[in-house]
Amino acid sequence: MTPLPDLRERFLSDGNPVAILAERTASVSQVIAESFQTYLTPVFPEGLAMVAVGGYGRSELFPHSDIDILILVERAPQDEKSRDALSRFLRTGWDGGLHVSHSVHTVEECCALHPGNLELTISLLDQRFLCGDADLYRKLSSRLQKFIASERPTIVKGLIRQTRERHEKFQNTVYHLEPNLKEAPGGLRDLHVIGWLTKLQDPARELPDWLAELREEIRFLFTARCYLHYAAGRDQNVVQFDAQEEILKQPFQAEMTVAQWMRQYFLAARRVFRAAKQAVDVVESSAPSGLFSHFRDWRSRMSTSEISVSKDRLLLRNPQMLESDPELALRVLRFTARHGLPPAADTERRIERALPAIESHFASERPLWNHLREIFSLPHAMLALRTMHETGLLGALMPEWRMIEGFVIRDFYHRYTVDEHTLIVAQNLLNLRAGADGPRRRFAELITEVESVPLLVFAILLHDIGKSIDGPTHAYESARLGDVIMKRIQMPDEEQMFVRFLVEQHLILSSVMNSRDLDDPSTAKDLATKAGTVENLRYLALMTYADISGVNPTAMTPWRLDQLWRVYSIGLRELTRELDTDRIHTHSSAPAHDFLEGFPSRYLRTHDKDEVAAHIALEEKARKDGVGVELVRRGGVWKLTVITLDRPRLFASIVGALSGIGMDIVKAEAFANAKNEVLDSFTFADPQRTLELNPSEVDRLRATLEKAAMGTLDVRQMLERRLRPSPAKTAERLRPAIYFDAEASAHATLVEIIAEDRIGLLYDLANVFAESNCSIEVVLIDTEARKALDVFYLTKEGRKLTENEQFVLEDRLRAACQ
Amino acid sequence: MKKIEAVIQPFKLEEVKEALKAIGVDGMTVTEVRGHGRQKGHKEVYRGQEYQVDLLPKVKVEMVVASGRADEVINAVAAAAKTGKIGDGKIFVYEVAEAIRIRNEERGETAL
Repeated sequence: MTPLPDLRERFLSDGNPVAILAERTASVSQVIAESFQTYLTPVFPEGLAMVAVGGYGRSELFPHSDIDILILVERAPQDEKSRDALSRFLRTGWDGGLHVSHSVHTVEECCALHPGNLELTISLLDQRFLCGDADLYRKLSSRLQKFIASERPTIVKGLIRQTRERHEKFQNTVYHLEPNLKEAPGGLRDLHVIGWLTKLQDPARELPDWLAELREEIRFLFTARCYLHYAAGRDQNVVQFDAQEEILKQPFQAEMTVAQWMRQYFLAARRVFRAAKQAVDVVESSAPSGLFSHFRDWRSRMSTSEISVSKDRLLLRNPQMLESDPELALRVLRFTARHGLPPAADTERRIERALPAIESHFASERPLWNHLREIFSLPHAMLALRTMHETGLLGALMPEWRMIEGFVIRDFYHRYTVDEHTLIVAQNLLNLRAGADGPRRRFAELITEVESVPLLVFAILLHDIGKSIDGPTHAYESARLGDVIMKRIQMPDEEQMFVRFLVEQHLILSSVMNSRDLDDPSTAKDLATKAGTVENLRYLALMTYADISGVNPTAMTPWRLDQLWRVYSIGLRELTRELDTDRIHTHSSAPAHDFLEGFPSRYLRTHDKDEVAAHIALEEKARKDGVGVELVRRGGVWKLTVITLDRPRLFASIVGALSGIGMDIVKAEAFANAKNEVLDSFTFADPQRTLELNPSEVDRLRATLEKAAMGTLDVRQMLERRLRPSPAKTAERLRPAIYFDAEASAHATLVEIIAEDRIGLLYDLANVFAESNCSIEVVLIDTEARKALDVFYLTKEGRKLTENEQFVLEDRLRAACQ
Repeated sequence: MKKIEAVIQPFKLEEVKEALKAIGVDGMTVTEVRGHGRQKGHKEVYRGQEYQVDLLPKVKVEMVVASGRADEVINAVAAAAKTGKIGDGKIFVYEVAEAIRIRNEERGETAL
């Protein structure tokens, strides 16, 4: 037998896998032909043919791949002479170092479906004649074509099922610390699947030439696999940690770090995986219709003038519009986010082709944030975000995103590249919207308490974007890059500041978790100072939850989940306590300082210089007229500020006046300064759009509020005229939770109430306090998703409430919450 | 050979790791555990609901070292993990009969 040439040295010097594969295939074929001539031709002058199948059929024989051969026979060999000849043929191959993997079949067996053995049929898709009875092979070739044409749907279905099972085995991700180049998603097997699906398609149907578009990726994977085979001396396909380092020492390899090489791998695997998924999608969507398709056809009614829905996929009616109207791509993604229907492969490819136009459109300042905010608020935001990433749209909208695409953090802890980690973090967060069981449930409840999920999603997109920059910290670099992006996408200043805060501080909770003594009071104090407000802390807790959970699938252990919750709890307790105890002391008698003296520190954390200046001006008016009222509309809600001297029932009167004209209070704060001046701030919605549609009503409301603040308005009468909305069904209602804490402050009692929100609830609660002769010292009200989160600091005759008074008050409050 | 098992406060883990690294001990097994000794549990409150935290979060650091180095390692761990308060944790020391490196079947201290 002619010995096989040793191609190892040549490969290690030039790293050209294509030549190696072709030469190895050719030399193996020569050996097989010789061996066939020697052992089989004398016994089988006809009625037997050698057919290369699988990788050998594709002429892609890697150095240590099995050599898949179909021994095609007219009829199964019965006599000993035939069997002996076959056995000698195979043995010679093995003795010569060929790992021959053979099967013996007749044409009939090849052209029949074998339940449980789809592999035979699939391997025949790559069959190639080697030697022997050419007539017999021709018979196979022609019968096979007809067989495949008639059984196409069954074969395709089986192949897709197998592919999905294989992807599932690797958790549907290309990101593995030690990836399998052959079987993992994005590996060589996915390339084969694309090839098989293309061969299995109806010849009349034109498919994209995915493999031609993946030339570079194919070469990368081929080179790596060739190296692994030579390095291990066997069919080794897993790129272990040491192999990742060794391959870089080879003469053919350009100089780079292991992280850079892995980045190349992940980017290549990702493109291959995506092409395979597209191929599956295209082929599946052209499959004959069944019962399910009737439902899908129903969904086609959702089509719009720009987008048509076909078989649960989105198609553009005028794809060429993408070039002239780049925002069309965002409208497609908005549709995806709303209805959970992804763009069709063709739509994705068209978006990809339009990326330069989209990028140049959004390179200058544009109101992109309006689009993103809407997309991120919709039920299928994650599907849209993934699609944006996979099509490259995210990179075109924010070129800074490309800095982290495929960026590898190489250790045993970080499983994903930075871009993938970021998307998983967003996914972890958005998954909470559907609720969660067990210890995660607390975080699922927390997400219903934040005002803006889109801002949180956006902060997550930015949180590691500076990771590839060598700066003081990645949080700092991410915030710096984020500033540029947020300005370009025209995010309002206030939101920019908030996102910047989240990005910059996204590590504080994990840092407290890992390096601070949670029982030490100074830990809570520092955390509260860094977080600033209860609201900020909620966002940070959610971000930390999603971030740690996105490092690797097991990073968020129940132990860590508990620790994170503890950190959140101690921060929350401290911030709530601080509301009353941590007051501003200016040590100055300047008018501005005089106004601030005695307000809770929270005031300065939640108001910027301009707002403080406006409040000082309003205070002057209040001193002159007895009350200062400011009412403005901002971002779809109304903001009301009232400054006046404190008096009994003040808070209840203002709240009652707002509720009396049907306004829905979503946020409120009430603080008093050292001069006993009260600053009450409210954010309220106008569900009936009374103020918007009747501008004169704004002045009327202002006058009504002035009267309410001065105590010259019968609020009770106003409220009686309004019908109380009927409460939601019992099953859906949140059970009110009322909690007293006498220790939180030195002179007041804290009451925390969590209840189902309704118009008038706050008035009813304030009224209970007034009727119980309690003074409200500090108020912090927040309402998110029908849940009212109310904190009051109360005194009675200048002292804390007694236990008995708490008891009575609790009953009354509970009744008011119903 | 001795096995040293230290149950410490979670926030002390980094300091303990650093202290061990400083004396050339790199290999260790870290486990997130829950438990309590004399420290007992405490009550926590969230939104009015009080709940007893019986088992406190701790971190267990385990390592096997040559007998001659045991005291040095114990001192390093103890110094790094100490705050002086209840709950700092404990260190346990065991005799180890044998160590085998699975990859090449080396035995004894060379396998550490």
